[in-house]
Amino acid sequence: MQLRLFISGRNYNLAEGIPDRLTLPEGATLDDALKALAALLPGETRLPASCLVAVSGRHCGTVASHLPEKLRDGDELVILAPVAGG
Amino acid sequence: MARGALSAEERARYQRQIGPGVLTEEGQLRLRRSTVFISRVGGMGGPAALALAMAGVGRIIFAHGGTLESADLNRQVLGSEHGLGKPRAAQFADCLRERNHFVTVEALDHEPDDAEAVELAGRADLVISAAPTFAERFRLNRAAVACGVPLIDAAQWGMTGTLIATKPHVTACLRCVYPQDPPFEEMFPVVGAISAAIGSLAALEAIKILSGTGRPMFGSLLLIDGYRGHESRVQLRRNPTCPCCGDSPLPLDGREAGGEGGGTQDMN
Repeated sequence: MQLRLFISGRNYNLAEGIPDRLTLPEGATLDDALKALAALLPGETRLPASCLVAVSGRHCGTVASHLPEKLRDGDELVILAPVAGG
Repeated sequence: MARGALSAEERARYQRQIGPGVLTEEGQLRLRRSTVFISRVGGMGGPAALALAMAGVGRIIFAHGGTLESADLNRQVLGSEHGLGKPRAAQFADCLRERNHFVTVEALDHEPDDAEAVELAGRADLVISAAPTFAERFRLNRAAVACGVPLIDAAQWGMTGTLIATKPHVTACLRCVYPQDPPFEEMFPVVGAISAAIGSLAALEAIKILSGTGRPMFGSLLLIDGYRGHESRVQLRRNPTCPCCGDSPLPLDGREAGGEGGGTQDMN
């Protein structure tokens, strides 16, 4: 199945080289997707634990702690590194 | 604060926002009776405060410390070159007062501490968090939850921004969304256009909530990535064990969560 990837928020520029689609086996879970995504990150880069994670508009938690979401073909995986700003 | 019906001068001022698809006259009166507390009125809070003042919110209380610097002027619409080197709070308050004499403006010239945040949230009908640090955002969130008033969190980085609207004990609060403290960043990049966009949307949500108009986006997060021209909306999940708004909240001492886990993280 194919997943649409949307990585944004703080330091979004570092995710520019990451493809906006992720191909995963049928029955894949959110954990599988995050592991596949981690493998695509350059060098020692890791997603911050506090990143919000959502699947097709459903809030699943954070990179560190999230629901065991089962994914479907065409889902959009949103990873948001928290932003503050003033 | 004026009571009763709108005056002829107020009707003339607000005529374009009273009618079908916008506010009712009663909604405009509700706005006039409302108080909004905004902490920081810089890049996002400034445009938010401006829009609220122009829309006729009766009382705006804001907090903003320091003196105006040149680097502020790529986004802080309440300041001007004339005010460089002068305290921000006084000139920002004057700027708002000059926009609408029907509005009362109160300025706090420093970051509110825990007690001040609760006191000011308690006087307000709605809180807007547009602060530069998560420490202050969580402080405002705790104050809003403690006082039972809605909080709108506006945030930005570079050309991207987020907006979260919360209703205490009904929707997710900011701590439900970010259970771990995100890392602190002293100097972050920002383009004023995204600040103004997010700040204006925060004001629009506030106007809707306070006047009883339209459908507020309570319980959701709007992500606008201006860099890539992509938006997303997330329906937020409330955490029943949240240390701020859950069934057994911690005291208002600012110690709700641990810091960001792990070591060096390039996307921090």
